[in-house]
Parts: sequence; C-alpha cells; structure tokens
Amino acid sequence: MMAFYFSRLVEIFPFFLKGLWMTTQIAFISLFTCTILGFILGILRSGKNKIIKRLIGVYVSFVRGTPFVVQVFIVFFILPEWGIQLKAFPAALLAMAIMGSAFICEIVAGGINAISKGQWEAGTASGLTLIQQLRLVVIPQAMKVILPPLVGQYVLLIKDTSVVSVIGVMELTRVGWVTVVRIPEGLMVFSLVGALYFVISYPLILLSNYLERRMAV
Amino acid sequence: MIEFKHVNKWFGKLHVLDDINLDIDPGEVLVICGPSGSGKSTLIRCINRLEPIQEGEIIVDGVPVHDKKTNLTKLRADIGFVFQQFHLYPHMTVLQNVMLAPVNVKKMSAAAAEEIAREKLTQVGLTDKAGAYPIQLSGGQQQRVAIARGLAMSPKIMLFDEPTSALDPEMIGEVLDVMVNLVSEGMTMCVVTHEMGFARKVADRVLFMDFGKIIETGRPDEFFDNPQTHRAADFISKILTH
Repeated sequence: MMAFYFSRLVEIFPFFLKGLWMTTQIAFISLFTCTILGFILGILRSGKNKIIKRLIGVYVSFVRGTPFVVQVFIVFFILPEWGIQLKAFPAALLAMAIMGSAFICEIVAGGINAISKGQWEAGTASGLTLIQQLRLVVIPQAMKVILPPLVGQYVLLIKDTSVVSVIGVMELTRVGWVTVVRIPEGLMVFSLVGALYFVISYPLILLSNYLERRMAV
Repeated sequence: MIEFKHVNKWFGKLHVLDDINLDIDPGEVLVICGPSGSGKSTLIRCINRLEPIQEGEIIVDGVPVHDKKTNLTKLRADIGFVFQQFHLYPHMTVLQNVMLAPVNVKKMSAAAAEEIAREKLTQVGLTDKAGAYPIQLSGGQQQRVAIARGLAMSPKIMLFDEPTSALDPEMIGEVLDVMVNLVSEGMTMCVVTHEMGFARKVADRVLFMDFGKIIETGRPDEFFDNPQTHRAADFISKILTH
C-alpha cells in the first residue's frame, strides 16, 4: 500500500512544485516589502518624533501580541466589511507585510539605537543632513547589529507563509492538505512538505549563522 | 565673529546658560574653563546649534544661529567641532573620515577631497595613517584625525570641547601641539580645556564659568596669576594642585 501511495505521490509531485513556487513567491515578495517597510518604520521609531514613535509602538505591540493567523483573517474577512476586498494572494501578501514589517522594525530600531549619540553629533557638526547621517554614518554601523537577527527573521517569515493556507492560497502547506485527502499517508505527504520548506530556509539559516560569527567581532 | 546676546538655556529646571553675553573676534583664541557642570561645553555646543537655546541670540559671522530660516548645513560646514571622545567613524578609514564631509556637504569631487584630506593629515602629522582604521590608532592620533576632519572643511571657526580630557597624559602634548599650530595660522578658536599651559601660551582671553554664568574673563596671565573672584581663585588652586 505504501508503495502504491508513494508512486501516486511521485505522480502528483509537479503539484507540489507548484505549491513550492507559490510559497517562494509569497516568501520573497514579502521579504522584500517587509524589509523596506521595516527599515522605514524602524528608522522612524528610533527617531525623535514622540507621536510617530508612539504610533509605531502601538502597531508593533498589536502585531506581536496577536497570532498571525488572526491577522490573516482580519485582512481577508474583516477588511471587506470596510470595502477593501482582496483576493487571497494579495491578502496574503498584505498580511505578511503587516506582520513582517513590525518585527523587522524592532530589529532595525534596536540596531540604530545601539549607535552612540556621538556618531550622530559628529555628522551633524560637520554639516551632514539627517538623511546623510543615517545613510553614511549610522546605518552602515547599525547593519552589524541588524543583519544576524534580520536573516533569522527571514527564516521565520518563510515558515510563516504556511499560515496563509487558511485563506486558500495554494501554497505548499495547502497543497499538503489537499493531497492528504487523496493520499491518506500523512507522514509521507507532510514530510515532503517539510522537506521543501527546508530547501528554501536552510540556505538562510546557514547565512544567519555565518553572519552571527562574522559580526560578533 | 561669534556673538552671544543675553543667551539663556535650561535643561528642564537646570539653568545651564544664564544670561550669557560674549563677543569673540576673528582670529581670537578663547579658552573656557570652569568646574564640571558649569555650562562650558553647552556654551560652545550652542555655537553650531548642537544645542537649542530658549532665549537670546547667537550670531556667527553675521548669521543668526537659532533662526528658523538659517541654513544649518552651511553654517556647520564653516565651523569645525572637536569632541572629547573624538567620535571618529569606526567603519571608515582615516582618509575616508576626513573626506566624508567635503564630498557630501561641499560636493567636492573625490579626487579634490582626497587631496585636501591628505594635506590636513600631513598638517596633524598623520600622513602615514591614511589607510588605517580609527581602532588601530592611539587616542592622541584619533583626536588629531578628528582635528583634521574638522579642518578639511576649511572652517572659519574651530570649537574644541575638552579635546585632551579623554587622553592619557603622554598623548596630550601631541594634540596641543597641533592646536598651537592652528593658532599660529590665525584660526578663530574656542577651546574648553583645563590645560593651563596651553591657555597661557596661546589664549587671547580666558573665560571662567560657574553655574551657567560667566564669572570672570581676562588675559590668561592676569586670570591665572591674579584672579578677581573668589570662585575663580578656588578653581585655579584646585587644577594647580591636581
């Protein structure tokens, strides 16, 4: 029976590859948008404007304090009540962007706050604008602090894409669910699903370990 | 060149600058001393608006520093500032440290900025350290790089905030030598320091502060040998015996 199911699994393997492709798309589009949003929010959060800092703080706390699956439901089922009707794929991307940017925001703000005030002042005193101080002086130094946890966060984000299966996006986990109905060998099916996630995550885990060692100096 | 008119500043309830009136001429070398917490660092930090003030006016080379319309980038480009803790950029080489502002503020070409940077490094005696990173240098060398970094913008004024206080004793001399050398070039300078030897040698005027007020000013020999106020006398005897 095992052998029969295994050959069935091989038969529908292209279906898994499609799921993997969807997962990869969601993951990498999300990493990109989360990084950009996360840096913008993180820079503002480490800045001087108290109102903006507070607002971002509330946003971050909300995201960190609620399960991602609930956030996905809010985007997909509750936004339509306010007239924002999104299809599953864009809804998944939006939910990922909201969640990921909050975590990256904290990492970036932490990195910027680790840079001494003297570095900003040295830049200020020599006439650099605020943006130049950030770009030329502060961010390059903060990257040492930011990079290792950032790449670690990327791995988490990739795995979190599995949650958007709940709104019907045909990504890897969803493919697993659909398949296991026809091939009732849960261990086999979800081992394959797990292995495919691992294929995307593992290089990043290696990168994260490498960066942690490099930046530790 | 630098003019303070009834300047007042508070940190919360603390009155750090109390009705400061001061005129500094072009080419003048002013040494500011006083006990810690007397407001001397705050005073020079207001000159390039690293600190805001609440009352009064500071005018640098005809420009009202704390006016909203003032182009701060341009103002600061003309004022070099040397910090107690150097604050070199640790991720850049010495040469890149010195070139950064000329390239990004004055929009000089990299080649022109490098030429100036190397010239200034020669002036502070560190020609051979251009490719080094700050962490590879001694404190005295780092502070000389910081001075070169300030000079690279061809400033009209140089401000020094306790430039030798963070240095080991044997490195103080090399930094003071560079500063003395600047004086001979006619640079307008405000120096917060307790280095009496330096003050006696090159200062045109010594200004003594306590509790945010200017207590006494005078020529260095007059001030150190014959202070007019009790507080200044007390302070001088303390730095002499220490």
